[in-house]
Amino acid sequence: MSGIQLALLIFAVMLAMMALRVPIAISMFVAGVTGYLIQRGWAPLASFLNSQAYARFASYDLSVIPLFILMGHFATQGGISKALFAFAAGVMGRFKGGLAMAAVFACAAFGAICGSSVATAATITNVAYDEMRKHGYSGRLTTGTLAAGGTLGILIPPSVPLVIYAILTEQNIAKLFMAAMVPGILAMLSYMIAIALYVRFVPGHAPEKDVIAKQKMSEALKGILPIAVIFVIVFGGIYGGLFTPTEGAAVGAFCTFAAALLKREMNWTKFKSCFYATAESSAMIFLIFLGADIMNAALALTQVPGQLAEVVGSWGLSPVMVVACIMLFYVVLGAVMDELSMILLTIPIFFPMIMGLDFGMSKEYTAIWFGVMVLMTVGFGMLAPPVGLNVYVVNSMTKNKGDAVPIAESYRGVLPFLAADTVRAILVLFFPMISLWALRFVQT
Amino acid sequence: MKTLGTLAKLCAIAAGLLMVFITLMTVTSVIGRDFFGKAITGDFELSGAACGAAVGLFMPWCQYKRGNIIVDFFTANAGEATVGFLDRAGALVLGIVMAVLSWRTTLGGISAFNSNSGTMMLGFPEWIVYAAIVPGLALTAVIAFVQAFLGFNEDLPESNPELAV
Repeated sequence: MSGIQLALLIFAVMLAMMALRVPIAISMFVAGVTGYLIQRGWAPLASFLNSQAYARFASYDLSVIPLFILMGHFATQGGISKALFAFAAGVMGRFKGGLAMAAVFACAAFGAICGSSVATAATITNVAYDEMRKHGYSGRLTTGTLAAGGTLGILIPPSVPLVIYAILTEQNIAKLFMAAMVPGILAMLSYMIAIALYVRFVPGHAPEKDVIAKQKMSEALKGILPIAVIFVIVFGGIYGGLFTPTEGAAVGAFCTFAAALLKREMNWTKFKSCFYATAESSAMIFLIFLGADIMNAALALTQVPGQLAEVVGSWGLSPVMVVACIMLFYVVLGAVMDELSMILLTIPIFFPMIMGLDFGMSKEYTAIWFGVMVLMTVGFGMLAPPVGLNVYVVNSMTKNKGDAVPIAESYRGVLPFLAADTVRAILVLFFPMISLWALRFVQT
Repeated sequence: MKTLGTLAKLCAIAAGLLMVFITLMTVTSVIGRDFFGKAITGDFELSGAACGAAVGLFMPWCQYKRGNIIVDFFTANAGEATVGFLDRAGALVLGIVMAVLSWRTTLGGISAFNSNSGTMMLGFPEWIVYAAIVPGLALTAVIAFVQAFLGFNEDLPESNPELAV
């Protein structure tokens, strides 16, 4: 069999198994094992497998992932979000659609200590959903806002998908975080603008005026203070050279736990549920790592990824167009596949290809900018039908609250935000400096 | 199945405590290094080792809760019976993969033991980490097999949505 046939076979095995509801990680694993066996036989595969789990699990570099996840769950259980939303509502309540904007702001702020999109959406939904509905916001706008706001959790550092990208491509996590900062803030502002426009042009989804109880300054500060302190300690420490990002994740988990303790929100039951939740998401991610590992090893043996770079190079597309095509490919693939698996599977193939192109900037800048582009596509995929994980989660939470919003309404609700995302992605695609200029603040 | 669930929970708690250990050690080491000029030697090696053991121990709970991501795009219109059958078949495949991994990781651990390999700074023996990973993988395999042959535990509360990334 030629290399290309083999590569196609490996992909076919993976897709067939995925379609038949085998977990994605396992589909990749079996496809990879098949490809490896055909090309190399059992003995090399066996020795690869002997140390694979050890090599992937017991890795200091990868320990940053469960640490950031644990930090996010401490934040989720720590009762920080309620006061945060109250603060945001106090500030934004005066505008039309103010509570929706407050939810977006709360998501962004919560995103500063949580690296997960779904966790951010779920946490803020818990504190904001009832309030928004009570004030007369439609189910469509409420669920749409909360689902979209969740993606700020991964755009604003820390960010688990960005950490995974950094590990896969051996880039500096601190720099990637910094480069995602401006697009993250842009996202927050553009979501607020989207809300302002939506409530004006599509009547009936928000009340004319939100009636919000005035807060005392000291009360309001309490809402934002713990997050601000944790954020300053963690990122001040990372950018001030006091510790590495991996250490920063541990410091962050510690501070978030301490904040929850101080708020008297942490007990053994909640502590345990943080562990369970961390177990579930970490195991899921590491299993995908294992699967993608062997699948990529098998694909590399076919030498097709290298040829692919040449073939694409020979098409004579401009480099920016190549990135645009990859983004479109991600949006399509994201319709059937979850975003993390997609990154783990495709970055080892696409990254060398991108690095071979000339974007008129340094290799490092290219790598970081591409990472930010990929991250934004992930956010998009968390919202876009047919399977937007955030939309699905926020929507299913409304069922638990006894106020079920039809899923089609929720998908309609995210449309304005998807439009904002598209504009932002195009801006950063053509003007990489929007994201990269912040790198000047990172000492090397 | 209940017993397996309890075991999986215990594993997750043990793993969580390992993460807490990493957290505390790192914070101590960072404070020591930045303010007193003295870090814990080889702290990152211990973190790596603890993380390895923890990830292995995370696996059973994830499988018990059916937390591994599945694509349901293609089977959105399939009947309940078909989906149930496919999911059990999927659990079977996962069980086989986990069984193979437990077996190969055991062999890897034995060879690490025989060659006395350890981490660079501390010489922390690698086989201990292998030994900590295997039970997690093996328990995951058992859980998956039980799910494949006896069906899933339907009494589980709706999966907590604050989990995925």
